[in-house]
Amino acid sequence: MARMKFLCDADRCIECNACVTACKNENDVPWGINRRRVVTINDGKPGERSVSMACMHCTDAPCAAVCPVDCFYTTADAVVLHSKDLCIGCGYCFYACPFGAPQYPKVSNFGSRGKMDKCTYCSGGPEVDLSPAEYQKYGSNRLAEGKLPLCAEMCSTKSLLAGDGEVIAQIYKERVVKRGYGSGAWGWQTAYRETITI
Amino acid sequence: MMSGTEETTMSQKSKDAGLDRRNFFKALGAGATVAVAPVAISPAAAVDPGKEETKARYRESEHVKDFYRVNRY
Repeated sequence: MARMKFLCDADRCIECNACVTACKNENDVPWGINRRRVVTINDGKPGERSVSMACMHCTDAPCAAVCPVDCFYTTADAVVLHSKDLCIGCGYCFYACPFGAPQYPKVSNFGSRGKMDKCTYCSGGPEVDLSPAEYQKYGSNRLAEGKLPLCAEMCSTKSLLAGDGEVIAQIYKERVVKRGYGSGAWGWQTAYRETITI
Repeated sequence: MMSGTEETTMSQKSKDAGLDRRNFFKALGAGATVAVAPVAISPAAAVDPGKEETKARYRESEHVKDFYRVNRY
């Protein structure tokens, strides 16, 4: 069974924010919510890197572990989705998520939160596939249409990869071999010893 | 003198309506218990996504194959 994953090739990301815009438009994301963001490290300095970040659809999702109403579920494609009908907007998932993926609409003053909103991997929610109710709550369902998330499909430099984890990992490996060097990711030498080549 | 007279009048008014001001919340509480009881008995609706919701939607269509192909450039 294919497992859906995102992979951002930091050597190719030029921080154009097209993925952010594409996501907002495709899913009709309300004001104040970004399901995807581009994070730039060492901005303006030599060696700056940008990475496009959204929900990473974790295998053992911490958001699902802390949800008091158990509104999360994982599909057979390994996509982590949630039910907005059950969500109470408590904000626990926001604190649990290491990527800051869950977002909340501002429904009124005095800090009250609305239903949580996050990246759905362009695969809708628990409603009937491609129904207006599904679009209204969760956005488009491109996976049901035989497509992939629009953020990745729109990426002009082909930095953001989406799809079957096995396939996109292979594509990334081919790129690394051709370049002759790896991602240069910070912390790898700490995590995997100094002998690793990055 | 004036306010005392008014209070008596209001109290009398609520008694006339059949609901004493001091027993209003008692009456409301009793009513609410009766009304809520059947709702509390109904089973809790925890998320139980069925097979239809969790089925695999991804398929390697021509569109997806094209995406993989152009990403290899």
